[in-house]
Amino acid sequence: MDRWWSDGTERGGVLWGGVIAIVATGALLGVFQNALVRTGDKDDGLAWKYEPPKLQTLEEIQAQAAAAGAGSAPTPAPVAADPNDPLGIPVGVSDIPDVGRPIEITVTKARELVDAKGAAIIDAREPADYAAGHIPGAVNLPFDEVITDPARLEAFDPQGKPILVYCGGVTCELSMKLGHELVRLGKKRVLVYTGGWPEWNDMKFPVETGAPGQGA
Amino acid sequence: MLEFFRHPTVRRVAQLGAGVIFLAAALPKIADLEAFAVSIHNFHMDPVVPMALTNVLAVTIPWIELVAGLALLANVRPRAGAVVYTALMALFTVAVIAALARGLSFDCGCFGKSGAANLGAQKLLENLGMLALGVVASLERRG
Repeated sequence: MDRWWSDGTERGGVLWGGVIAIVATGALLGVFQNALVRTGDKDDGLAWKYEPPKLQTLEEIQAQAAAAGAGSAPTPAPVAADPNDPLGIPVGVSDIPDVGRPIEITVTKARELVDAKGAAIIDAREPADYAAGHIPGAVNLPFDEVITDPARLEAFDPQGKPILVYCGGVTCELSMKLGHELVRLGKKRVLVYTGGWPEWNDMKFPVETGAPGQGA
Repeated sequence: MLEFFRHPTVRRVAQLGAGVIFLAAALPKIADLEAFAVSIHNFHMDPVVPMALTNVLAVTIPWIELVAGLALLANVRPRAGAVVYTALMALFTVAVIAALARGLSFDCGCFGKSGAANLGAQKLLENLGMLALGVVASLERRG
């Protein structure tokens, strides 16, 4: 074997040389392509380093509001924890501000809102996942379907409650995107529960099964 | 049995099949890098592959697939192409198993964002089949 275009008899060092050549050529082409589209007229390339999307948490926003409003408005008295609740979740869900963008919430706040029926809940996963189990009261609006059909999102009526969005991912990028889309469509007080279904299910919190309640 | 798989025609057919699979996988990803990057993030391999690195993978993997696929189809260094195919396919299969074991469910973006089904047992079987194809395609040619 001494021709570079070997038709399949290559072995040993020559074989591995070919493997390295293929990987290196491919990697170079990829880097080249991304470098070109990133500096081109329409920049639709990828950043070299991936930064996960991040939302402000409810706690951060409340802390900011407290700092900004200190002196002018009295901060509401903390609500006593319910002694019967193992998580010590304070009762009362009216402390969610409208900040014009989605807010990240933790499992504690999500549980509190679900128990108090204090939020309109959207499950952004696929119908089959939804049917297998979902947060009680959730309406199924699969991300892939509604992102191309904003009318369905617009028709979603939270009846004055905050909107809680969750999905099945770990950092739950779909629910973040859906949250942004809801805000863009004029919905108020959009909350993204980033722990989503995996965390809720792991906590052995109440779940509902079956496929009723397809979103408007 | 092994002799059957060593038959030049069988191996060549396996190489062509693997080449077509890689071209079909590479082209939609190259056309929409972002969709593929999101798919890689969805695997959440943070402990093994730092999240910051996933974009570099999204940029390079489709082109490596393309070059390996072309080598397989054009019969230029097909054995090297088959080894690259098999190694990548083994990597993908491990990623799918790891994701399934952790109960993650999402569109894997394996062939770009073409309304593919979510990860499941079927995806795993597909991957094992494609992996077997790669092994046959990589067999050493005698003479």
